[in-house]
Amino acid sequence: MNSIRLRLLVMLTVLLGITGGLGYESYRTFNRVKDMRRSLDISYLLRENAWQSHTLSAKSTQLKQIEKLRSRVTEPQRLLELSNLIQAANSGNPRLLSARQKTFIKNEAEFQRYTRKQLSYMEQRLLYFGSLVFLTLCFGFIGLQLVLHRSVIRPLDQLSRKMVDFLHDRYTYQFSVPSNDEIGQMQATFNSLAQRVLANVEQLRTLDQAKSEFLSIASHELRTPLTSIKGSLSLMRSGIVGKMNEMAENLLGIAETETDRLIRLINDILDLAKIEARKLPLHQEWSSLNELVSTSIQSLNGFAQQAGVRLEMDATAPIETYMDRDRIQQVITNLMSNAIKFSPESGVVTVRCSIDDKNRILIEVKDQGPGIAPEDQEAIFQKFRQASSDRNPLVKGTGLGLAIARALVEQHGGEIGLSSQPGNGSIFHFSMPEWRYSRNLKNEAHV
Amino acid sequence: MHILLAEDDPSISVIAKLSLERLGGHTVHVVSDGEKALQQALTNSFDLILLDEMMPKMNGLKVCQAYKTQTSTPKPVIFLSAKSQDSDIKEFQSHGTGFIPKPFDPMQLESMIQEVLKNMTSKTA
Repeated sequence: MNSIRLRLLVMLTVLLGITGGLGYESYRTFNRVKDMRRSLDISYLLRENAWQSHTLSAKSTQLKQIEKLRSRVTEPQRLLELSNLIQAANSGNPRLLSARQKTFIKNEAEFQRYTRKQLSYMEQRLLYFGSLVFLTLCFGFIGLQLVLHRSVIRPLDQLSRKMVDFLHDRYTYQFSVPSNDEIGQMQATFNSLAQRVLANVEQLRTLDQAKSEFLSIASHELRTPLTSIKGSLSLMRSGIVGKMNEMAENLLGIAETETDRLIRLINDILDLAKIEARKLPLHQEWSSLNELVSTSIQSLNGFAQQAGVRLEMDATAPIETYMDRDRIQQVITNLMSNAIKFSPESGVVTVRCSIDDKNRILIEVKDQGPGIAPEDQEAIFQKFRQASSDRNPLVKGTGLGLAIARALVEQHGGEIGLSSQPGNGSIFHFSMPEWRYSRNLKNEAHV
Repeated sequence: MHILLAEDDPSISVIAKLSLERLGGHTVHVVSDGEKALQQALTNSFDLILLDEMMPKMNGLKVCQAYKTQTSTPKPVIFLSAKSQDSDIKEFQSHGTGFIPKPFDPMQLESMIQEVLKNMTSKTA
């Protein structure tokens, strides 16, 4: 038998047949025992009555009463005379008195004896059938359990273990030979499923490798000529190859600026590709946040002065965060340089650190720029999407800065976002989940 | 200084030569592969050798090893390379005198070389 369903069906049918047959038999026996007991009791009652009547008239009254009783009651009754002879028997005990038996059992005492004998035999029979039903049920239950355990529970356990293994990249999924039943079919399906998944994983790995190779080759191949262009341009501009007229110098300036931008763009694309592929390892350590913010502010001071923008820092208690210093500085610098680019003349850009309601460190960069329309607020975090700046048309970004910032913040387990109303400036903020109060207060003090 | 520059990319070698001659006032001899670099380094007397890491025929590290075993008075060797992983940089520094990452700014090349040489003298002193 291959199918579990069939096996269970056969077992259940056999069990049901046996218990049904035995149950029916014991039910019948039980009924007969009940009948006999009742008939014995009633005959006794009637006999008591019969003894009391000595006269014929009394006897006939009694007979009438009994007739009445018989018409109302379906209980087995026998009408007895003084002689203890059975005069009549109603339909309550037809089985007890077959035609043949009637001729023999004339005497109630004989009837009683016979019935008692029958009764004890029947009681034994009832006990016998009852225990047979009980035993059959017990064995059937145990057998069913065994079959279920062997052909359903155990294979299912095995299968689920292998699935869990598969989930954790331990490929023990191969079964020796799947059995030819429902569970076996499931195993076979899982095998082919696992094979397909593994094939896909392998394919993805190859593709990923090809992508990495492409990126590293592309970066090298793109950077090498750009480096030469940039080098030549800066040597020419330095004047060591001879004096040039003003027009040529201006054109060279444009060429150099745009080359710089191209190099920045390539670096940003490669950075983003690496971060998105989780190929950029973070060198995380505990370090002071205030120190990092002031370093970022210092590095942007020149740029801010050019734009006529003041930079301010709203420091908090000395706090350390678990971060890759260079990468978080990249994020802060990016947010701040955006803020400076869009600030009005003599505007103020404020960097503020605080603890938010989810117990994370929140770093906010606030500007007094034109603000960002609600419909653009999500778009600017996407690649190559940027708002135009009227005031600083020459400071062109790559359109990747915020996408990189978001990827870096998310890699640190934080979130980045902004709140802004057109005309009222913008606040860009990001959170970092891992922080603690600085232990080294002295170091913090002189920063 | 008399400098040997081994670099297979002609654009970069022209730029580096120009930068070193005009900005640093050195004389520069350019070769374009590893074997020529080793031969020149052993026959002529240079004050400084700049080796590109990736060159045809013999790579920079091999040239440096061969040069150090075949001469009694080795001159400082500086590698130029785009490889910037920590392990690579350590290997460059253990074999040669120093390392200048590519791409380099020709305006800064002279000062980067001076920096490496200064580090070398401070280490030996």
